[in-house]
Amino acid sequence: MSEKRKTAPLPTGGKAQADLELMEHADGEHDDAELTARLERDPDARAKVAAVRQLGELVRGHLELSADAVHDAKFAAMWRRIDDQIVAPTGLWGRVTAWLERHRGHVVTGTVSAGVVAALALVLRPGAPDGGTRGIGYGAVDVRPVAMRAAPEIDSLDTPGGSSTVINFDDEDGHTTVIWVTPADTVEGI
Amino acid sequence: MLAAQRGDRDAFKTLFERYHRRAYALAFGVLRNPDDALDVVQDAFIKAHKYLDRFEGNSSFYTWLYRIVMNLAIDHLRKHRRVKPVELDETRIDNDGDDPLLPRILGGNPGRALLDKQIRARIDQALDQLSENHRAVLVMRELEGLSYEDMAQAMSCSKGTIMSRLFHARRNMQKRLLDLIDNPSAELVEDLLGKRAEPEADEADVSANDEAPKRLPARGRS
Repeated sequence: MSEKRKTAPLPTGGKAQADLELMEHADGEHDDAELTARLERDPDARAKVAAVRQLGELVRGHLELSADAVHDAKFAAMWRRIDDQIVAPTGLWGRVTAWLERHRGHVVTGTVSAGVVAALALVLRPGAPDGGTRGIGYGAVDVRPVAMRAAPEIDSLDTPGGSSTVINFDDEDGHTTVIWVTPADTVEGI
Repeated sequence: MLAAQRGDRDAFKTLFERYHRRAYALAFGVLRNPDDALDVVQDAFIKAHKYLDRFEGNSSFYTWLYRIVMNLAIDHLRKHRRVKPVELDETRIDNDGDDPLLPRILGGNPGRALLDKQIRARIDQALDQLSENHRAVLVMRELEGLSYEDMAQAMSCSKGTIMSRLFHARRNMQKRLLDLIDNPSAELVEDLLGKRAEPEADEADVSANDEAPKRLPARGRS
């Protein structure tokens, strides 16, 4: 935050200055023999220092209790979003893999939404306008949004050495198939 | 910290788990909106991770993190400011009128006072009514215990301005809480004197109630 105007000196006399010193003392920023003597003889000054400290306790305690009252689930969801960002893989295949890892449970049970698959299609659309089915991982890709004509078809498929999930969908450019292979030795969660 | 800098995701998660609520308390204190505070904390951790390699270890990770949180919170206030704040001249502290600081305290145990919903609602209200700059300084000081010099650096202003903002903030808070201090409700007096039974753990943890306090605050949480 930038300081736009020239700062005038703080007052050097009167109640305000005296109280400013008490505040500095309460904050551990100022201590001298004169102030100590004043605090010893003046109960009002001691009460002001105590009041500053107590206000601090109330504000701090209130904010900490407010933070403690936020449900763990909100922070767990926050961590998932952070995690998504900080381990964002590079490259097309890395991004697709990460997406499918996150949504694998939904994909396998066929509950993935058309909107989510549309986002997948955003990444996967093959560049060649031949309208045919093409395996991902080779060839240039043309990244652009697609409009789904219908909800995608999602099937499971047994393949040698593991299982697969097949996602078929159509859009204005034709038909796209994504086959996600899970090797048999893959352990969920690791 | 070193492990996180080497790219160990679990190590960074440990840092998140250690500091996320503390960072939230800071952001919430400044922004006064739970969703905005959550957004700021999330962005702060992402930013901290992005620039982990620049962290030189001269201060603790949290000291570094709270600066990011504060900067993001202040940016957020600037971007989403709906009403131009009316502020006292921050460089002046009036010498006239009543005592600037009030020599009044809540009797008994202020920690117990925080069990009182009335008190907490009033603290919320009083914080809401402070100007953004005054609130930011007050929260930094009370929550993080920053020195005036550190706060001046964090807010890119002079130490005198920090002192003035803090002074005004405290005086305004005191004035807004004054009637609670001078005319406490019977329930508050009971809370302060510890005569009212604390709620059972089950009652305090009612999951539907976001405001249910889970524990009394303790100084120096890590």
